[in-house]
Amino acid sequence: MTIYNLYMFDRDGQLLHYAEWIRKKQSGMSREEEAKLMYGMIFSIKSFVTKVSPVDLKEGYLTYCTNKYRLHLFETPSRIKFVLNTDVAAQGIKELLHQIYTQVYVEYVVFNPMCPLNKPIESELFAAKLDEVVRQSPAHASRPA
Amino acid sequence: MAEDAIFDLLHMEAVSYVFQGDKISEDEAVAKLEHMGFATGYRLVERLTRESGRFKDELDIMKYICKDLWVNVYRKQIDNLRTNHQGVYVLHDNRFRFLSHMAAGKQYLQYAPRYLAFTCGLVRGCLANLGITCVVTAEVTQLPACKFQIQVQRG
Repeated sequence: MTIYNLYMFDRDGQLLHYAEWIRKKQSGMSREEEAKLMYGMIFSIKSFVTKVSPVDLKEGYLTYCTNKYRLHLFETPSRIKFVLNTDVAAQGIKELLHQIYTQVYVEYVVFNPMCPLNKPIESELFAAKLDEVVRQSPAHASRPA
Repeated sequence: MAEDAIFDLLHMEAVSYVFQGDKISEDEAVAKLEHMGFATGYRLVERLTRESGRFKDELDIMKYICKDLWVNVYRKQIDNLRTNHQGVYVLHDNRFRFLSHMAAGKQYLQYAPRYLAFTCGLVRGCLANLGITCVVTAEVTQLPACKFQIQVQRG
């Protein structure tokens, strides 16, 4: 199992943080442009899914799967979005994203007086802790399965 | 714990409040925070020492600061207490709570003193009410560790 990369967006669609573990194919555009496209797609998928859903949707977790990878979207009550790409077989990603939110984002960004909440995150401690949590998760492995 | 979170956030806001605006100098702002800490410590120690007996000597009081006071306010003990037995005490905290969420290393080092001023005052206030006049200063070389130096004024 493998974790590829992670995007974090605030409620206005601004990219707060991007982290990458394994990514063999780059998109060939700038990070900002890529983030905008990603956010746009997430936004559309979310509204589409809510519209066509035959039952009530309450959970802030969504995932889709292609042949090669799986995208996980986790949205907090404060509407911060975590988008994580993994391989198809990855397990327990919802728990991992929740852990990233409560144990990394809340602790090292929200409780860090040096981090403004609506700007891209510059804290090195945050990046280090994020990396640590992801590397410790069972879904992370050095090579794709 | 929720009540700890409130204290952390309120302290964060207190710091950013005294530092906002250009009219005030760094020293003035630090002095303000230190004064807040002093007033808090002066009252707080009265409440915290309700049940404890009288202290034997100065060192006994310092031990009280390192153990009980620190546990009550910061949920941990001071990691190391040193003294030259001539009125200088150095308190090492290897993971100071107001700095532990900020960085591990040198990032934001220049802003760290702002987050120590209140605590310096707190310690000075506590000691003042226990009958010790002193000067408390703090120093950081690497976050989140810091040391507080207490210099007792004799005479």
